[in-house]
Amino acid sequence: MSESSGPLPLRVATVSDDADRAALERIARDELGALDELYERYKTMAYSIAYRITNDATLAEDVVQEAFLGVWRNATRYVQGRGSVKTWLLSIVHHRAIDAVRRRRSTVDLPERDDAPPPALRLPDVWGEVSSNLDADEVRAALASLSDVQREALELAYFGGLTQTEIAERTGTPLGTVKSRMRLGLLAMREMLSP
Amino acid sequence: MTDARRPGGQPGGLTCDEVRDLAASYVLGALTDQEMDAVREHLADCPETHAEFAELGSVVPALDAAVPLMEPPTGLRDRIMAAAAADLDARRQADLPPVVVSEQPAQTDHVAAPAAAAEPIPIGRSRERRWTWVAGIAAVLAFVLLGAWNLSLQGQLDAAKGYQAQVASVLDAASQPGALTAVLSAPSGQGPNGIAAVTSDGKMRIAMRDLAPTAGDEVYETWMILPNTAPAPVGGFTVGASGSGFIEAGGVPAQPGLVLAVTREPRPGMTAPSSDPVSVGTTTSTANSTG
Repeated sequence: MSESSGPLPLRVATVSDDADRAALERIARDELGALDELYERYKTMAYSIAYRITNDATLAEDVVQEAFLGVWRNATRYVQGRGSVKTWLLSIVHHRAIDAVRRRRSTVDLPERDDAPPPALRLPDVWGEVSSNLDADEVRAALASLSDVQREALELAYFGGLTQTEIAERTGTPLGTVKSRMRLGLLAMREMLSP
Repeated sequence: MTDARRPGGQPGGLTCDEVRDLAASYVLGALTDQEMDAVREHLADCPETHAEFAELGSVVPALDAAVPLMEPPTGLRDRIMAAAAADLDARRQADLPPVVVSEQPAQTDHVAAPAAAAEPIPIGRSRERRWTWVAGIAAVLAFVLLGAWNLSLQGQLDAAKGYQAQVASVLDAASQPGALTAVLSAPSGQGPNGIAAVTSDGKMRIAMRDLAPTAGDEVYETWMILPNTAPAPVGGFTVGASGSGFIEAGGVPAQPGLVLAVTREPRPGMTAPSSDPVSVGTTTSTANSTG
């Protein structure tokens, strides 16, 4: 398994992020139309991610609504240096969706954690720009090229909302093996998706 | 978590090797909240670079691109816009600063830029106030709106009594089976706003406020707009010093997605709007507007 190192080169600078940042500035000034604009641009991605994680249309709608309301209320919290608006927005969707499925799974109602950061680390900068230009087929092909167990580990973690311990239990695999599969899977994808 | 260092002085109570071991799980969000906090604290305090987090984390957003695309239901947009409008209204009425709740993705200052308020990007563009905008406006969270209004009513009791009765009348209609509701708001986000209900038998009630008083023959005209059709007048009303207005009319289809708009017209009986709307909203099913 190849393990490239160093930052990924910037593939293409997106024009749309300038428009996104402009929309976010207008949202920070309480312009409802700007929220509408951002929603129109990312509604499909946002809903698709929410549905992929929750597998529940109603819950996915709630997740997307919460996420966009989070953007509406916290536009001033966006920090440019940490990635594109798209990455930021979709990370909120992901975070909300994971929270939702974990709450649904839990036998005890977990409190809402509005102020909690999303569980996944979203890095930013270069990759935020690169990923926004990735072709879906390219990413699917990269995922498909992983071993079944690597892909399963990534999907259970990222889309299933399972912790590493839960993945180990579910798959009957030692915890160390699960960690290794996730790490090698990510590195393999990185190698394949690097320009 | 303020000081979770081990007696040995490891940030977050974890050694660097332990943190490296958790890196993939961390960037995928596959840790418990406590583990996430411990890693985050370690990265914040550790003098080592921990480049593995950037290396692994950089791939994660790409996973989103693999998701099969699905279009959200059309009503979702209205719900979001209605909720945002209600939030804005509540903040303005309560004269509160914007709610500040962290929605920041989990990122470490170690591998990303330090947290700081985003620099404003100056924009001189004003919002367009065109009829095309009407599709972008919202429907309803009536109870939220009413609650927000109640805050302002405390300081405006005289004007409020009549208005509150009007809102109650609208909400009464909204509570009927099959009723639709709509929140009307100004295209600019600030200005005349109100609430409307359309019952299944085609009766509509609208309560509006923050309207400039009418003078002479002037009226505020309410229009209904079905998809791909010209605005049709529903009825007009005048407004006094209180700034509130109310109208009850019939013949309005109880159809979700019906756009309701209010314009200020020079005289009653206009068959087409002569100006941009001062406030617009879209009807939505009450049953779907509680999310």
